[in-house]
Amino acid sequence: MRWSSLLGLAVVAVLIAAPLGLPAFAMTLLTELVILGLFAMSLDLMVGYTRLVSFGHVAAYGLGAYACGYLLLNTSLPLPFAVLLAAVMTGTVAIGVGWVCTLATGVSFSMLTLAFAQLLYAIAFKWTSVTGGSDGLAGIPRRAGPMGLTVLTTKTGFYYFALAALVGSYLLCRQLVASPFGAVLRGIRENETKTLTLGYNTRLYKIAVVAISYALGGLAGALYAPFAGFANTELLFWLLSGQVLIMVIVGGSGTLIGPILGAAFFLLLEHQLSSYTEAWALFFGLVFIGFILFAPQGIWGLLTAWFKRDWMRLEKGRRHGT
Amino acid sequence: MSTLAFFLTQSVNALSQAALLFFLGVGLTLIFGIMRIVNFAHGALYMLGAFIGYSLVRWTGSFWLALVLAPILVALLGTAFELVILRRLYRRDAHAFLMVTFGLALVVTEAVRLIWGPDALQVPPPRLFSGVVFLLGEPFPTYRLFLAGAGAVMAIAIWQLLERTRLGLLIRATSQNAEMVHALGIDVGLVRSAVFGIGCGLAALGGVLAAPLVTASHAMAATVIIDAFVIVIIGGMGSFLGSLIGALLIAFVQVFGNYYLPDFALAFMYLVMLLVLVVRPGGLLGKEA
Amino acid sequence: MAHSDERPSSPPLIELTGLTRRYGALVAVDNVNMQVAGGETRAIIGPNGAGKTTLFHLITGMVRPTAGRVRFAGEDITGQAAYSICQRGLSRTFQLTSLFPEMTARENVRLAAQARNRRRWLPFGGASVFKEAQGAGDAALELLGLTAVAERAAGLLSHGDQRLLEVAMAMAQQPMVLLLDEPTQGLSVEETAQAVETLARFLERSRVTALLVEHDMEVVFRLAHKITVLHRGAVIADGAPTAVKADARVQDAYLGGIG
Repeated sequence: MRWSSLLGLAVVAVLIAAPLGLPAFAMTLLTELVILGLFAMSLDLMVGYTRLVSFGHVAAYGLGAYACGYLLLNTSLPLPFAVLLAAVMTGTVAIGVGWVCTLATGVSFSMLTLAFAQLLYAIAFKWTSVTGGSDGLAGIPRRAGPMGLTVLTTKTGFYYFALAALVGSYLLCRQLVASPFGAVLRGIRENETKTLTLGYNTRLYKIAVVAISYALGGLAGALYAPFAGFANTELLFWLLSGQVLIMVIVGGSGTLIGPILGAAFFLLLEHQLSSYTEAWALFFGLVFIGFILFAPQGIWGLLTAWFKRDWMRLEKGRRHGT
Repeated sequence: MSTLAFFLTQSVNALSQAALLFFLGVGLTLIFGIMRIVNFAHGALYMLGAFIGYSLVRWTGSFWLALVLAPILVALLGTAFELVILRRLYRRDAHAFLMVTFGLALVVTEAVRLIWGPDALQVPPPRLFSGVVFLLGEPFPTYRLFLAGAGAVMAIAIWQLLERTRLGLLIRATSQNAEMVHALGIDVGLVRSAVFGIGCGLAALGGVLAAPLVTASHAMAATVIIDAFVIVIIGGMGSFLGSLIGALLIAFVQVFGNYYLPDFALAFMYLVMLLVLVVRPGGLLGKEA
Repeated sequence: MAHSDERPSSPPLIELTGLTRRYGALVAVDNVNMQVAGGETRAIIGPNGAGKTTLFHLITGMVRPTAGRVRFAGEDITGQAAYSICQRGLSRTFQLTSLFPEMTARENVRLAAQARNRRRWLPFGGASVFKEAQGAGDAALELLGLTAVAERAAGLLSHGDQRLLEVAMAMAQQPMVLLLDEPTQGLSVEETAQAVETLARFLERSRVTALLVEHDMEVVFRLAHKITVLHRGAVIADGAPTAVKADARVQDAYLGGIG
């Protein structure tokens, strides 16, 4: 078995065993990491695999959170259905967003994604009856699952639900990028014109990627709403779009795992540094610029390169009998 | 009020708005013309200008001093950024630029929040222009008249700079054919740094001028970059005249649109941007982005 | 890679009528009328700037004509999207090498061949789609002698190999019409001879229709059934190679250009 698959299984095993050993506050942090990791990974499909740089990914997160919050507050849908429905709704809206944004390419595409997110931000403030205005939606219940499964209302139960969502999404994305569809995305990333002239309707592929990416981002948001108990306009603020983009780049774009690492890095910084200084977000931005300049392959890229070099040295040593 | 008075006051309003938008747009378009990159930090630098202006007014008591110093400070900051960071990216693809300037926007926004706190700040207009004047019987703030005037003056000044001075010639030449300029023995890098600095300074100038009107706030950075981008898209990337026309167009759409359909201002901008991108991706007057 | 369907030889496979493309005052392609029969290899020659590449862009849908029509297998395809025209069976290479630099040569041809597989949209069964596409791709690589460098990243190949890879990608799509834009440009003398022989054999066996933009006259005479000569966007000669060679207007145009 490849070392990376073994490592992956080991990590998942650790994550599953975590609630047994970790104290409550660490479990909360870990759950937040899982949700944020999903959010970052969803963006990687667009940024890392198709080079569609989105500055407005909070749109997915916020939509998912508000949709799920609204469903949980105003209907009696069990939690898992509310979360999944919210994700599907986000993905559906994203088809329209993708259709519009892919009318342009490059910087214009990025600006359109930002504009859409800003639009949602403004709507969230104004549409008070649905979104609660600047106060947002509060008291979102962590409702039981179908057939009265109350395990999801507990911290641990919810953590496993979120973890399942992350692992499931990861496997889905892995399958997607390894498929013929994924090969086309890669073609679009490396040379869109050539991909077009080979006979691929690249615009459709881009719209599909945007829809899937937003749906998964919406899934993350939908998990956040019952996790935190609220959904407000902070979830749609453009700085968060920036931070999730940083997570993808710093963690390592185009790898699916990298962004999750980036999310971990981000949370680590936030919780460690924020007790010392207010400037941790500034520091994060500087780290971002540093990575773009000096380590564009990100943390995961650095790790795999280092490991490969060591592995090759080991292999050479083994063959020469040293 | 009478319809004529209404249209007159709203039009002058739009002209003052256009001046602010012009300062935003012309810097962005100049930078694009020379460097073929969109400076995502432009909105954040506009905001930085507003906040620095606030502090300078508090310390020196003089709005005019702030008006001169803040842009210079931001211009220097911009030039330093270009020298230290952007220079390393010229051989990389356009995405690296976009993300680095995005990073700058984030860093500047956070820095502003740290230094000046999370609240919006009030900047008083200069005593000379803090009154009202009567246009066809309707009161109209003189500050807005000043803005409209300042916009016109700066537009003419920049136009003259581009057309009549050596620097302007270098800027225009470099934006058309950088290699040629280099072959003539001129340090293109210097021209680039200078233009980037000037562009940032102009954004900050817009910010200082805007502060007495809209208060210096944090949401500025994101909304304003979209405005700037739309203007430059409409007018055409890299076209000075285009940024002027774009600013006027958007200002009138915003001011009159705001009156008739106040909740849809942002949606309007989005729609206008879409329309232009679909119909003429190169903008009305500009080079291909 | 032979084509099994018989095509009637009477109606032309490609028909250009009054095809024109203007850029402001510049007329890049000027009222071109051309008919290419199925199975024919047509060379398009002319001095630089004669409009040859623009003509390719017009046929393949990358550029809309200002006037005129393009007909393929009897159907009017004028103004259709480039990807949809390619789907009909036209594959092309570019004057400026256009590849996927970070993918290996094998992955490049696989992506090209994959475009013709109707099942590529299904979320499952990707493995068989890949297998089929790779099969077609590998065959094309072998045909052009690129098997040795198959696992190398396309961006790291020599210029000559890159141009051959582009041709391989077009062939891997098993097209009805192959449009080759200066395929031998940048190739050494031996590479050119080899490539030309490969192309000749391939075209004879498969009876694929080919449009060939070339500057190298030896290549043209070896491969082409007919030659169309463009000068300043307009057709100045059209016919069998020996006739065109002797045509005075053609000699005139080339004395002024870079033949």
